[in-house]
Amino acid sequence: MSAAPRPEQPAPSPLAPVTDDPDTGGFFTAAAAGQVALRYCADCGALLHLPRAYCYHCGSWNSGYRVVAPRARVYSWTVVEHQIHPAYPVPYTVALVELADEPAARLVSFLPGRPELYAGQELHAWFNQAADGSTVVQWRPEGSEPPVREVS
Amino acid sequence: MNDTDWQAGACAIAGIGTTDFSRNSGRSDLTLATQAVLAALHDAGLDASAIDGIVRCDMDLVRHNDLAEALGIRQLTYWGECGPGGVAPCAMVGQAVGAILSGQASTVVVFRSLNGRSGRRYGAASTAAGQQLVGGNGSYDEFYLPHGLLTAGQMFALMARRHMIEYGSTQEQLGSIAIACRERAQANPAAQMYGRPLTMSDYLSARMISEPLRLFDYCLETDGAAAVVVTGTDRARDCKNGAVLIHAVAQASVPGTQPGIMFPVLMRDSITALSSRAVAELLWSRSRLSPADVDVAQLYDCFTITLLLQLEDYGFAKRGEGGAFAADGGIGLTGQLPCNTSGGHLSEAYIHGMNHVVEAVRQIRGTSTAQVQGAEVSLVTSAPPPASSALILTADR
Repeated sequence: MSAAPRPEQPAPSPLAPVTDDPDTGGFFTAAAAGQVALRYCADCGALLHLPRAYCYHCGSWNSGYRVVAPRARVYSWTVVEHQIHPAYPVPYTVALVELADEPAARLVSFLPGRPELYAGQELHAWFNQAADGSTVVQWRPEGSEPPVREVS
Repeated sequence: MNDTDWQAGACAIAGIGTTDFSRNSGRSDLTLATQAVLAALHDAGLDASAIDGIVRCDMDLVRHNDLAEALGIRQLTYWGECGPGGVAPCAMVGQAVGAILSGQASTVVVFRSLNGRSGRRYGAASTAAGQQLVGGNGSYDEFYLPHGLLTAGQMFALMARRHMIEYGSTQEQLGSIAIACRERAQANPAAQMYGRPLTMSDYLSARMISEPLRLFDYCLETDGAAAVVVTGTDRARDCKNGAVLIHAVAQASVPGTQPGIMFPVLMRDSITALSSRAVAELLWSRSRLSPADVDVAQLYDCFTITLLLQLEDYGFAKRGEGGAFAADGGIGLTGQLPCNTSGGHLSEAYIHGMNHVVEAVRQIRGTSTAQVQGAEVSLVTSAPPPASSALILTADR
């Protein structure tokens, strides 16, 4: 039995987001349609980010997603050099971005390699569809192409 | 909460204990916990029959009944837990105080035990093949993990980079924190980094893990346990090593605290201040002390940047000047605020904040291997991002 060769390990898949969570699913529904959308209170207009159902500002349970511009600025970043997960080979960069329309809302993005970044640098959204059908919003510097090796 | 309701010094720490710190204990988490608690009981001159309460960390694999059975405790009248993770230790002591002052228990053991190197390693990701769904159920991980943001170290790297952007902090300043902790460990034979000094050249040439954080910006991974015995001050005075007074304890969150376990704190208004800024406000008010009164501090140091941010949050350095404070010798043994005198998480052991409580007691007793002469006010913090807690111990004089 010990002589039997081990089967090749299949290439690991990137981590895919749960897209049907009752509080956050709308973000991923919008992403699948190629839009960046944030959750807002329908009564007082307060931003509800990270997405949740109840607005403590005015006591409302009425909220919905509103499309915002697919533009953001670099807030911070880290270049990951130590391998953690086989689906995320190093080096790669994780950027923390603030949305152009809504600086109080931040998201994170994968960027391949070690791109030259600076605080305040303008980024544009792109929509990274995974094999399982889910879509992740990623960000890249203006003028750059989506990475060849997509991550999700 | 009216701060005048706080009963300063009504309870005390009567016993402290740890196991050895290693990379491969060869023992169960329960055995480590049992050994640390027995050491703390021996230190207090008590036996297990004195214990009627246990407080644990929510991430500990040892449950209260596991420990009660291992120690032969006849009857617990109180048990509790705090978290998440490293937020817990000072808050655990506070929970023990609450149990004692409300009459639910008389003598409470507070412990943390983990095989953090040979067992479950924090920061490791699942490597299971096949599509893995992440997030949902209030975790908010769906906004982070698919983008490759996978570990606490990567999150703290984003905070460190932002501190560099906002204030011009440098890698050398972070390095000075790693080096100060390593220097203290050279006096502590129990420290994992005892006998292994660190120079700035060593620090800067170490491999990058998640830029701008390098290998020595990260704490150790440790197998071990630490425990303290909390009881009423009068009872503690009758114990073998007397009472170290719990002068003040505080736990606090910030407005806009954000949900989830860890990464959502990146959505807060600032990522260069932790929730410890709110703990500090409450702690100084409740203790009627100020940063200038603190003789020695054990600041939570899962990463160098964590300690730097707390220097500012607690008011030892002005906002943005924590790095300069450390690099100018402020956290050294003869500095304005001697820090992490056993070596801390960076160079003694990572017992998730609990070894910091033990060392803070030693400083009041005068038994640290890097003793601050005449220390009477000893600060401990437990401060990863989701929330924080802190503790001030004072001498019983």
